[in-house]
Amino acid sequence: MSKAFGIQIDDDEMTESEEEDDDEVEEDVKQPEKKRKQQNSRKPSKASQDEEDSSEEDTKPKQRNNRRRPPVQNGTKKNKNNKDDESEDDESEEEAAKNSRKKTRNKKNSKVEESDDDSELEGENKKTKKNPARSNNKNNRNNGNKKQKNEDNKKEKQANQKDNKKGEKGNRKDKKKKKGKSSSSSSGSSQSEDSLSEGELAKVLEEVEEKKKLVAIMRTKAWRMKRKLAKLRESQAFVEKFEGALGKGKGRKFYAYKVMMTKKWIKFKRDFENFKTSCIPWEMKIKEIESHFGSSVASYFIFLRWLYGINLVLFGLTFGLVVIPEVLMGLQYGTIPRKTVPREEQPTAMDFSVLWEFGGYMKYSALFYGYYNNQRMIGVFKYRLPLSYFMVGVGSFGYSLMVVIRTMARNANESGVDGDDGDFNFSWKMFTSWDYLIGNPETADNKFASITTSFKESIVDEEENQKDENIHLRRFLIILANFLIFCCLAGSGYLIFYVVKKSQTYATLSELTWYQKNEIDIVMALLGMFVPPLFETIAALENYHPRIALKWQLWRMFALFLGNLYTFLLALIDQVNIQLADEESVKNKTLAMLNSFNLTSTNSTSASIPQIDPADFPRGPCWETGVGLEFTKLTVSDILVTYISILVGDFIRAVFVRFVNYCWCWDLEYGFPSYTEFDISGNVLGLIFNQGMIWMGTFYSPGLIGINILRLLTSMYYQCWAVMCCNVPQSRVFKASGSNNFYMSLLLLILFLSLLPVVYTIMTFTPSFDCGPFSGKAKMFEVIMETIEHDFPAFIGQLFGYAANPGLILPGILLMVLAIYYLNATSKTYETANLELKKKMQMQREEQKNRRNNKNTVNPMLQDLEDLLPSNANARKSESGQNTNKKVVEKQPTVTNGATRAHGQHGKEMMLAPPTPRTVVTKPPNPRQTSRPPGQPRSGPPGPRPRGPAPGQPRR
Amino acid sequence: MGSYSSHVSKIEDLQGIIQETGFSKAHVCRLYDRFEGLDQNKAGQLSREDFQRIGELAVNPLGDRIINAFFPDGNQTLDFRSFIRILACFRPVTVDKSAGPNSPEPINSRSNKLRFAFQLYDQDRDGKISRDELFQVLRMMLEAQVTDDQLDSITDRTIQEADLDGDGAISFEEFRKSLENVNLEHKMSIRFLQ
Repeated sequence: MSKAFGIQIDDDEMTESEEEDDDEVEEDVKQPEKKRKQQNSRKPSKASQDEEDSSEEDTKPKQRNNRRRPPVQNGTKKNKNNKDDESEDDESEEEAAKNSRKKTRNKKNSKVEESDDDSELEGENKKTKKNPARSNNKNNRNNGNKKQKNEDNKKEKQANQKDNKKGEKGNRKDKKKKKGKSSSSSSGSSQSEDSLSEGELAKVLEEVEEKKKLVAIMRTKAWRMKRKLAKLRESQAFVEKFEGALGKGKGRKFYAYKVMMTKKWIKFKRDFENFKTSCIPWEMKIKEIESHFGSSVASYFIFLRWLYGINLVLFGLTFGLVVIPEVLMGLQYGTIPRKTVPREEQPTAMDFSVLWEFGGYMKYSALFYGYYNNQRMIGVFKYRLPLSYFMVGVGSFGYSLMVVIRTMARNANESGVDGDDGDFNFSWKMFTSWDYLIGNPETADNKFASITTSFKESIVDEEENQKDENIHLRRFLIILANFLIFCCLAGSGYLIFYVVKKSQTYATLSELTWYQKNEIDIVMALLGMFVPPLFETIAALENYHPRIALKWQLWRMFALFLGNLYTFLLALIDQVNIQLADEESVKNKTLAMLNSFNLTSTNSTSASIPQIDPADFPRGPCWETGVGLEFTKLTVSDILVTYISILVGDFIRAVFVRFVNYCWCWDLEYGFPSYTEFDISGNVLGLIFNQGMIWMGTFYSPGLIGINILRLLTSMYYQCWAVMCCNVPQSRVFKASGSNNFYMSLLLLILFLSLLPVVYTIMTFTPSFDCGPFSGKAKMFEVIMETIEHDFPAFIGQLFGYAANPGLILPGILLMVLAIYYLNATSKTYETANLELKKKMQMQREEQKNRRNNKNTVNPMLQDLEDLLPSNANARKSESGQNTNKKVVEKQPTVTNGATRAHGQHGKEMMLAPPTPRTVVTKPPNPRQTSRPPGQPRSGPPGPRPRGPAPGQPRR
Repeated sequence: MGSYSSHVSKIEDLQGIIQETGFSKAHVCRLYDRFEGLDQNKAGQLSREDFQRIGELAVNPLGDRIINAFFPDGNQTLDFRSFIRILACFRPVTVDKSAGPNSPEPINSRSNKLRFAFQLYDQDRDGKISRDELFQVLRMMLEAQVTDDQLDSITDRTIQEADLDGDGAISFEEFRKSLENVNLEHKMSIRFLQ
C-alpha cells in the first residue's frame, strides 16, 4: 500500500523486460550516471537556448506522463513490484544527493501532466514534425535518462512516502523538502482545516511565511519564467488558503465564520433538496408502483399527475377570473330570467334525480354558460365579465397547447441527451443497483421488487434486440394483422355510421322504445368493450416489443374512440340546430311580448312591468347551456363507469379469486380468471379522451373543470390503491420510453380535435339571445371588437383593422410555413449527425472488444512488423498509434522501456560511434516505418530485443 | 465540534491512524464514536453480530459479504485500527489538482474503492468474478419470481457485456472498465456531516 505508484510502474516495466534481457540490467544501472552527467552539462546551455529547446523540454513531461500512465492498470502487480523495488534501492542510493533538483523538475512537470491524452499527442506530433531530428534523438535520450531519474526519485519518495500519501498536503511538503516531517497535519482536505493542533498550526504558519518570502524574492531567483510563474501561483494559492486559518484575531475569526457558513450552506442545500423531493405530490406512491409494476405502469400515473397539474391551472383561471367574479359581483340569483329556474321546473328543481342530471338549480347556476349576464361591466371594479369569459375560454386552449408542446420539446431534448449508456446495461444493474443506504425492511422489499422489475425490463429489451427470425414471415404477419385491424376499424366505423343514420330516422317517430332511445350508446359500449381485446389478440401476431405494441394499440383504440367522439358531436350538433330553430320562434314571441309591454307601458303607468316574475318569463332553449350540460353529464357518467369497472372488474374479481380459490376445483389465481393486469392503453386513452371532453366543454360549462379536478384527484388515490391491491404486474414488464412523449402527442391531437368544434361554434353560431355573457351579439367574438371600440384609444382599433387585413395575414402564414420548413430541415440534419456519431461510438467500442478477443487473428500483420522492426521502431510506432488504439497505450510503457533499454545500450556505442540517431531522423518524419531499417543494424542483435514488448502483451 | 477532544485520549496511536488513513482528526473521532456505538458489549472490539445489528446491512442482500470484508483473515473480532483502515477506502476524495503523479496512490483512490467492491463479488479471491459468483449475487438480489433460466441469461449477458478478453469471467480490469462512467468517487464515500 505504501509504495509510491509512480515508481512501481517503472519497475513494472523493468521486470517485464528484464526477463528477456537480464544481461542488460547492470549496464542500465551504470548508464544513468553518464547520462545524467551529459544532461547536466547540457543544462546551462539549454536554458539559454531558443524556443525549440524549450519546446523540447516540454516533451519530457509528456513522455513521462505516458510512461506513468499505467499505474492504475498495473495495480495488480504492486506487490511483486515492491520486491523488485527493494532490490534496486541500493543502486540508486548513491544518487540520492542529486535528487533535489530533479524533484523540483518533476513537480513542475506534474502540472503539465494534467493535460489529457489528446493534447499531449498533438503536442508531441507537432514537435516531432517540427524538429524531427532533434526531438527523436532527444526522446531516446530522455528515455534513458528518465529511467535513471526515476530510480533517483524513488529513493526520495520512499523517504517522503508518508507525506505523499496524503495527497495535496503531502505534495506541498515535498516541495518544502521537509523530509521525514511527521505528517501530523493530516488534513488533506480543506474541510477539516479547523481540526489542526497547535503544533501543526505553527508549522503551517511557518510555511505560509516561507511562501510569502518566496513570493517576495521571486524576482531575484534564477529560474526560468515558466517555473517562476508556476511557483508563484502555487505559493499564492497556498497563502490565500491558509492565512485566514492561521491569522490572529480578525482574520481568524473571519475564516472560522466563513467555514461555518459554508458548512451551514451545504447542509441547508441538502435539506432543501430533500424538501423539494418531498414536495412532489404522490412521488412516493408512484415510485412504489414503479418498483412493483415497472415504469410503464408508472408512466400512466406520472401522466395523470401531469394532467392534474394542467387542470389545476385551468381551474384557477376559470374560477378565478370568471366564476368567482360572477358570483361575487354579478346580479343575484332570481333577479333576471336567465338566473331563475322557470316556473314549470320549480317544483322538481331540488329533487336529487334532477340535480344528478344537472337540471334544476344546477342548470341555472354559475356552473353553466347560461347563467352569465351580458352586462358589459359588473360590480364596483367595473369588471368586464363577458370579455374575461371569452379571453379565459381562448386562453385555456392557448395555455394547454403551449404546455403540451413545451413538455414535448423538453422530453425530446432529454431523450436525446441520455441515449448513451447501453454498453454496460446489465453490469451496471448488477453491480450498482442496490442502494446501500436502505435500512428499512419495507423499503428494502420495494428495492428488491424494483431491481427485479428493472432486470425484467432489460430482459425484454434484450430479447427484442436478439430476435432474428424469418423476416418474410414476420412481414407477412404484420401486414396481415394490420389488414385485420383495418377491417375491424372499418366495420365498427360503418356500424356507428349506420346506427347514427338510423337514429335520425327515429326522430320522426313519436314513440320510442328503450332500445331505440339508447341504441347508439349500447352499440358504442359494446364496441368499446369487445374491440380493444380483439385488437390485442390480433396484435399478438405482430410480435412487437411490448412498448411498440402499446403504441400501436393506443393508436388503434384512438381511431376507434374517434368514432365515439364523432357520433357524440354529431348528435350534439343536431341538437344545437334544433334548438337554434326553436329559439327563433321563442325570440319572436318574446319580442312581440316585449313590444306589447312597451306599448302598454307607454300608454299607462310604468308600474305594469314588474308584474312578470322572472320565473314566468318566456325564454329560449339556450343551446350553449345544453352543450355544456351534455359534456358534464358525459364526464360524470364516464367517471362513474371507470370507477365502477375498477371496483367490479379489479377489486371484486381479485377478492373472488383470492378467497374462492380455497374451495374451487381449479387454480383460480394462475388459471382462468386470474388477477387483472393494469390496462395501460385503456386507462391512458380514457384519460386523454376525458381531457378532450373537458377542453371542449369548459367553454360552455365553467364548472366542468372543477369536476375534472375532483375526478383526477380521486382517481389518483383510487387507482393507486386498486393497482397495488388487486392487480398483478404484466407478464412482460417493459420499460416505458424515457419520455411520455407518445401520450403527449395523443393529447396534442385530442386537444386540436377538441379545439375545432369550440372554435367552430364560436365563429359560426349566433349566441342565444337571452342567456349567456354574449347574448344580444351576432357572434361571440364581437365582444373583442366591442372592447376595442369602447375601452381602447381609436388608433388601436385601426391597428387591429390593419392586422386583420388578409394582405398581412397571408404573408405572415407564408413566413411561418417557411420557418417551419427550415427548422425542420435543420433538425433532421442534426438528427442524422447524432445518429452517425452514436454509430461511430458503438463501432469504436466493438472494435476495441474485438481486438481484445481475438488479438492474435486481428493483427498478425502488426506482429510481423514488430518482429521485423527494431525496438526503436516499436517505440515510436506505438507512440504514434496511441490515439487510435487504446490497447497500444496500455502496452506502450513496456515498449518504451524496451526502447529505453535499447537506447541505453546505444548510448554506450555512441561514445564510440558517431551519433547515429541523428542520421535516422534527418529524414522526413512521414514514412516512419521505412526510416527504421537504418537503425536496425546498429541496434545490435535484433532478434530477441524487438520481442521485448511481445511477452508483455499476453500478461494483460 | 469541540466535544471530540475527550475521545482523543482514548484512541491509541491517533497520529499513526491519521497518517495511515488520511482521515482528519475530527473524522477519526467521529468514526471512533460510531465504533463505540456499534460496540455493544464495550469490549473495544467489534464482532460480526455487532455489524449484523446495523439495519442497513441486515436488509442488504450483500450484507454478509460486506461484513466479511471487515473480517479479512477469518478473525472474529475487529479492533478500531482495522476498522478505520477498512473505512479509509471510503474517505471522500478531495479535489486536489496539485497532487502530482509522484505521490503514491491514496488509500481512497478510485481503484481501491473499486477493489473493495470487486472483492464483494469475488468470493474465492481468485481475481475474477466467475459465472457462479455472479449467479449467486443475482439470486440474492432478485425476488424469487425470476426463474433460473432468466437468471442464467442475465448472468450470461452480464459477462458477455463486461468480459473483454473472452475468458468467461470478469477480471478486475474488466470490472473497472464496465464501471468507468459511474461516479464512484461520490458513491463510495462516507459523507461526513459537514
